[in-house]
Amino acid sequence: MQSKIPVTKMARGGVVGKAMLKIGLSQSKGVVKRAFMSKEKKEASQKETHAEIAKVIIDSLGTLKGISVKIAQQVALGLPFLPKEYLDEISKSFNAIPPINKALIRKIIKQELGDYPENIFDTFESEAFGAASLGQVHLATKNGQKIAVKVQYPGISNSIASDLGVLKFALSRFAKGQNIDHLMKEVEDRLYEEVDYFIEAKNSEHFYKNLRQENIIIPKVIEEFSTKTVISTTFLEGKSFQEFLASNPTQEQRDHYAQLIFDSFFIGLYHLQMIHADPNPGNFIFMAEEKLGLIDFGCVKRLDDDFLSSFSKLHVSLMDKLPDEEIAVLYAELLMIDEGEIDEMVSFYREVIKPLDRIYIEIFEEDSYDFKENSNFSERGFNTIMEVQKKQINSVHKMNEEYIFVDRTLLGYYAMFEQMDAKIDTRFAKKLVRY
Amino acid sequence: MKVTQSAKEKTKIKILNSAVNLIIEKGFKHASMREMAKSAGVSNPTIYNYFPTKEKILYAYVEQKHKEAIAIIQNIDDFNTYTLREQLQTLVETELELYLEDREFIIQISDMVFHSSGLKIESLYGTNSLFIDMVEDMLEVAIEAKEIMEPPFKEYMPKLFWDYYITVVAYWVKDDSEMFENTTQYIDHSMGVIEALLASQVLNKASDLGMFLFKTHLLNSLEKFSIKKAGFDGVKRKLKGVFDAK
Repeated sequence: MQSKIPVTKMARGGVVGKAMLKIGLSQSKGVVKRAFMSKEKKEASQKETHAEIAKVIIDSLGTLKGISVKIAQQVALGLPFLPKEYLDEISKSFNAIPPINKALIRKIIKQELGDYPENIFDTFESEAFGAASLGQVHLATKNGQKIAVKVQYPGISNSIASDLGVLKFALSRFAKGQNIDHLMKEVEDRLYEEVDYFIEAKNSEHFYKNLRQENIIIPKVIEEFSTKTVISTTFLEGKSFQEFLASNPTQEQRDHYAQLIFDSFFIGLYHLQMIHADPNPGNFIFMAEEKLGLIDFGCVKRLDDDFLSSFSKLHVSLMDKLPDEEIAVLYAELLMIDEGEIDEMVSFYREVIKPLDRIYIEIFEEDSYDFKENSNFSERGFNTIMEVQKKQINSVHKMNEEYIFVDRTLLGYYAMFEQMDAKIDTRFAKKLVRY
Repeated sequence: MKVTQSAKEKTKIKILNSAVNLIIEKGFKHASMREMAKSAGVSNPTIYNYFPTKEKILYAYVEQKHKEAIAIIQNIDDFNTYTLREQLQTLVETELELYLEDREFIIQISDMVFHSSGLKIESLYGTNSLFIDMVEDMLEVAIEAKEIMEPPFKEYMPKLFWDYYITVVAYWVKDDSEMFENTTQYIDHSMGVIEALLASQVLNKASDLGMFLFKTHLLNSLEKFSIKKAGFDGVKRKLKGVFDAK
């Protein structure tokens, strides 16, 4: 009998090493092929190589279980310079988490909550009704109340470090010498936060107690049945985003729900200083009687006063069409432009940053904005951000990640509104921005 | 005085629990039957009445845990909706869960079996009939429900599964990961392999191949061997031919 257990760092290290080897091969293959190709062919081949590399990375993460999904989401948000093929491959892996089977779910419940499900709940469905980013959700009842029990796949927290090792190696190839340490750190922090359901419970409580908005319902965390890897909340009955779209809603309903989502984003931002960090349609439950459920507070972003005040000032100035000189200074406050001679700042603003302005101002120009008529808004927005970030990365300027983050999150919601063909009223949000 | 069956069972469990605690505290070798009797609150003759030797306590413990595990499993309402793999995995996990509070004790048994040879693993086979019956049931139901094809040597499968279960316990005993997460994953993955094997018919095909080789080559040669003494070389030659051809 060996005293060392095989399925530990050593084994993971093996996987990591293999992935690195494969990436090396896949890339050099691309280089050799490309040397003899026309420009178009070169581009096509480059895409192929990107997709291949992406697959290798995802495969190796896949071996390391569910965490890859979350990493993928984070990477997609935080590292926009990645080739599109890479992001496509990542989103394919979203459904690749291994299921927790009925035997395992019993064990986790017993281990975490102290007893088997049948002894804790009045009923417990051993079949999951939903997939969560790092686990799955089961329906239970207790004293007539329906409860959603989210359970994490075992061992995830311990695999974060080695998973990120693979990812960092792989991504550094795309970053072309740029330092991605700060981005990886951000991803890592988010991940450790997200695997800790205590933090999620705390965030959830914060929203539950403080988000005051008519027709918004936030589930209550049931502490008795919650631990670091299991979280139980009251169950919200309703449709998912896809089910809602498929149910052929009226224009009024579309507008109503889009409005709720839009306003709750700004209320979260300004009143709670906290927003959902992934603009995921899965965070919303379309409930009866015009109500909207907000769920899953595992991945939230906190924003401080300083940021909010610069952020507001900038947007107000843009809405009021102040001269470029003043705008450039405000961008400098947000660390998007280096402080320096005003002429230099203005020319950098005009050259690099200005396209970003449109992303905000277009929505807010009138009292309402119709996404039915502007169904490619979010795509334009994402491309603009990507372009700006590329230029920023090529230059010596640093990005204000929070600023970009909020922008990207909003764009994620706009993409939902486009799918909903909804029209939103921007007056309430504008009032908040001008607070 | 007439002692009822349930009272007897209660006394037995009481002695078992005290014995396990004492063994955890003092070690198997140094925990005496007299002390066990004392801490269980029974007389010396009584304990020998239940357990003629100290080893018998170990066996009774293992059997007792099988009993408890099966009682827990029978209490699962929708157990019939579990796949064969989920049922087997539940059995393994439930047993381990029961071992958890007596982990130190299990470590001692495991040491005796695998290291000091103070205990023969064969002697543990006597304790596994409940476990094996349960696995047999699960297999029968799965075959009847056409979840899997009937595997070859079906009657040996439950015993084989028990052997697998022993390796899981051995792994768990050495597991130092947090909350024994590695064991959980080891079980999940290895059960995946077992599931795939049972579903894939690899076992049937392998057994077909084995039977073919045995009948056409080995058996044939053995017959020759029994007729003429020099035939042994023939067996070797023939077998060699088979393997070289592969």
